[in-house]
Amino acid sequence: MAEHLLLVEDDDRIRTVLRLGLEDEGYAVSEAASAETALDLMGDDPPDVLIVDLGLGGMDGFTLIRTVRRSGDLPIIVVSARTDTHDIVAGLEAGADDYVTKPFQIKEITARLRALHRRVISSAATDEPPSPEVILDAGPPHPLVLSTARGTVRRGEDDVHLTLTEYGLLCELASSPGRVMSRQLLLERVWDQGFFGDERLVDVHVRRLRTKIEQDPSNPRLVVTVRGLGYRLDLQ
Amino acid sequence: MRFLPWPRALRGRVALSFTLGALVLSTALATFTFLVARGYLIGQREREAVRQTYLDGAFLRNQLATPGAPVDEILTTADPPADGAFVVRQYGQWYSTTLGVDPPTVPETLQKHVRSGHAGYVLTEVNGTPSLIVGLRLSPVTQFYRVAPLTELTDTLNTLGAILAIGTVLAAAGGAAVGRWASHKAVQPIHLVAATAAQIAGGSLDSRLPNTSDPDLAIIVGSFNSMVDTLQQRVERDARFAADVGHEMRSPLTTLVASVELLNRHRKDLPPRAVQAIGMVSGELTRLQYLLDNLLHLAKADAGLDLTDASVLPLGDLVRHTLNRSGHSADLLNAADGDGRVRGDKYLLERAFANLIDNADRHGGGLRAVTIRPDGEKLLVLFDDAGQGIPLEDRERIFERFATSRAARGSSSGTGLGLALATQTLSAHGGALWCTDNPAEGARFVASLPLVAP
Repeated sequence: MAEHLLLVEDDDRIRTVLRLGLEDEGYAVSEAASAETALDLMGDDPPDVLIVDLGLGGMDGFTLIRTVRRSGDLPIIVVSARTDTHDIVAGLEAGADDYVTKPFQIKEITARLRALHRRVISSAATDEPPSPEVILDAGPPHPLVLSTARGTVRRGEDDVHLTLTEYGLLCELASSPGRVMSRQLLLERVWDQGFFGDERLVDVHVRRLRTKIEQDPSNPRLVVTVRGLGYRLDLQ
Repeated sequence: MRFLPWPRALRGRVALSFTLGALVLSTALATFTFLVARGYLIGQREREAVRQTYLDGAFLRNQLATPGAPVDEILTTADPPADGAFVVRQYGQWYSTTLGVDPPTVPETLQKHVRSGHAGYVLTEVNGTPSLIVGLRLSPVTQFYRVAPLTELTDTLNTLGAILAIGTVLAAAGGAAVGRWASHKAVQPIHLVAATAAQIAGGSLDSRLPNTSDPDLAIIVGSFNSMVDTLQQRVERDARFAADVGHEMRSPLTTLVASVELLNRHRKDLPPRAVQAIGMVSGELTRLQYLLDNLLHLAKADAGLDLTDASVLPLGDLVRHTLNRSGHSADLLNAADGDGRVRGDKYLLERAFANLIDNADRHGGGLRAVTIRPDGEKLLVLFDDAGQGIPLEDRERIFERFATSRAARGSSSGTGLGLALATQTLSAHGGALWCTDNPAEGARFVASLPLVAP
C-alpha cells in the first residue's frame, strides 16, 4: 500500500504542484490548507508522514507540530520559506524530524521521505542487531533497556516513547558505546544527508533524546557531548 | 605678526588659555600688591622721617639759638641717621655732618619751598642711594635738611618684588597644570564618544554611551544614543526588508521549480519544441534562484555575517563537495601539497566557492583546476579557468557589485554579485580573495583562509 502523506500548506499552488509531484513518485497524498483542517483529517485517517509549512495562517506550524507530537511519534517534515536559524531550530525543537527550505525540488522531499523510511526499516530490522538488548542505564530505580529486537526502549516495565528519529539516533549511538561519533557521521547514518547536511538536526534531536532517557537531562551522563568532536554514549 | 603658533588641539588651547589667564591675573595681583605695599611702607617712612626731622630740628634750633655758635661744631654733636646726614644752610653757607653730601644734593625745588617757610620732603637719589630728604626752616636764615637713606626699605621692596615675581611664575605654571588637567577632563567624554563611535562603525550596533548624571554631558549622550538607536532600527529594517523580499519570492519560486521539475519528468509526452522551451525555463529558473540566494546572502553579509555556526572544516572535503554540487568532478581538486582545516560556516564558504566556480564557468571558459596549497599561516585555494585572463586594470573592479565585464554580458548573464559576495564572505572569515594570472593561460582566483592548527 502506498505511503500516506498529509500535506499542510496554505499556498494552493505549492500544495497542488507538490501533490502532483509526490503522487508521481507513488505516494498517496492528502491536502490540508490549515492546521485545523489537518488535525481533523488526522483524526479520521492517520497519515504515515506529515509535511508541514511553518508559516500557516490561523494556528501556525509550530503549534501544529507540538500538538501532533504530544499524541504520538508521527514523522514530521517541515517546509519553510524561512532560513533564519531560530525558526528552523524552533521547528525542530517543537518535534519535527527533518526540514527543507523553499524553494526546493520535489526530489529533495522524496529524499527526506526515503531517509525516514529507512529509519523505519532499520529500526524494524531484526536480522543481525549488534546485540538484541542493551542495558543503557543499570542505575536505580529501574534499568533503562534498549531492545532492538522489539524496537523499544523501556525503563523498568514502562515504555519510553521515542520518535523514529530519536530511536534511530539512539541505535546509532548504542551501536558502539564509548566511541565518539561525529555530527557528520550521525547526519549521514540517521538522516541520510551528506556533507552539507545541517548539524543542528543532530544537536536538537540529541537534546530531545536526553529529556526522555537521561536521569537528569540538564546534566547528561548517558549521551555526552565531546566538545568539537561529537557525541558519545556511555553505558551507565 | 604671530610669534607662536596658536595650538590646533583643543587640549593645547585650553591649557594655553589657562596659563595666559593665570599669568595675567597673578601679574596684576602682584603689581597691585607691590604698589600698595610700597606706598604704605614709603608713607610710613615719610611720616617717621618728618617727625624725626622736627625733633632734630628742635634740638638744632636750640643749639643754634646761642649767637655765634659754630654750626660745624653743633653738627658734630648731632645724631644723624645711619649713612645719612644733616645739612644746614645758614646765611647762605652750607654745613653738613658728612663729607660728600653736597648742598646741590638738596633739590632746588625743596630749597625754595623751605626758604619760603614751609616744611617739605622729597624722595631722591643721593650718591646712588634712594634717600628721603626732609627740609625745615629753623629761622629766617637757617634751613635744616635731614637726609635719610632708604637702603633698608629698598631691600625690603626688592625682596617683596622678587617673591611676587616668583609667585607670578608659579601661578602661571599652576594655571598650565590646571589647564592640562581640566582640558583632559573636558576631552575625556569626547574620547569616550569617539571610542563608542568606532565600535559602532566596526559593526557592534548595540554599543551605547553609558548614562551620565552630568547635565551638560547628558544632552550629548542622549542625542548620540538616540542617533545610534535610529541607525540600528534602520539597519534592522533593511535586513528585515531583505528577509521579507526573500520570503515573498520564495513561494512563487517554489511553485515554479516544482512545476518545471514535474514538466521535465513528463518531457517524453511533450513535443520537442516544448521540451526545448522547458530546458530554457529550467536553466533561467536555476539562475534566478542563484541570484536571489546571492542577493539575500549579500544583504545578510551587509548586516554583518553571522559566524555563530562556524565549525572546524576539512577544506579539501568542503571544496570536493562544492565541486560535486556545482556539477563538476571532485577530481578537479589537486591537494597534493597537503590541505588542512579551516574554521568557518560551511554554507557561507560553499556559496563563496560555488560563486568562484560559477564565475570560471561563465566568464572564464570553464573551470580547469582547483588547487589547495598551504602558505604559512594560511591555506590558499586556487581556481584556474581556461579563459582570456583578466586585464590588469579590471582586477580590482571585478570584485565590485554588478561589475561583470561588459564583453561577457551579452551571452551569459552573470549575476554580478558572486565575486562581491565571495570577497565579503572570505574577509569575514579572516581571509581574502584576489585575482592573478594563471601560469598556463586564463585567470586564477586565489582565496585565502587562516589555517587551523591540527
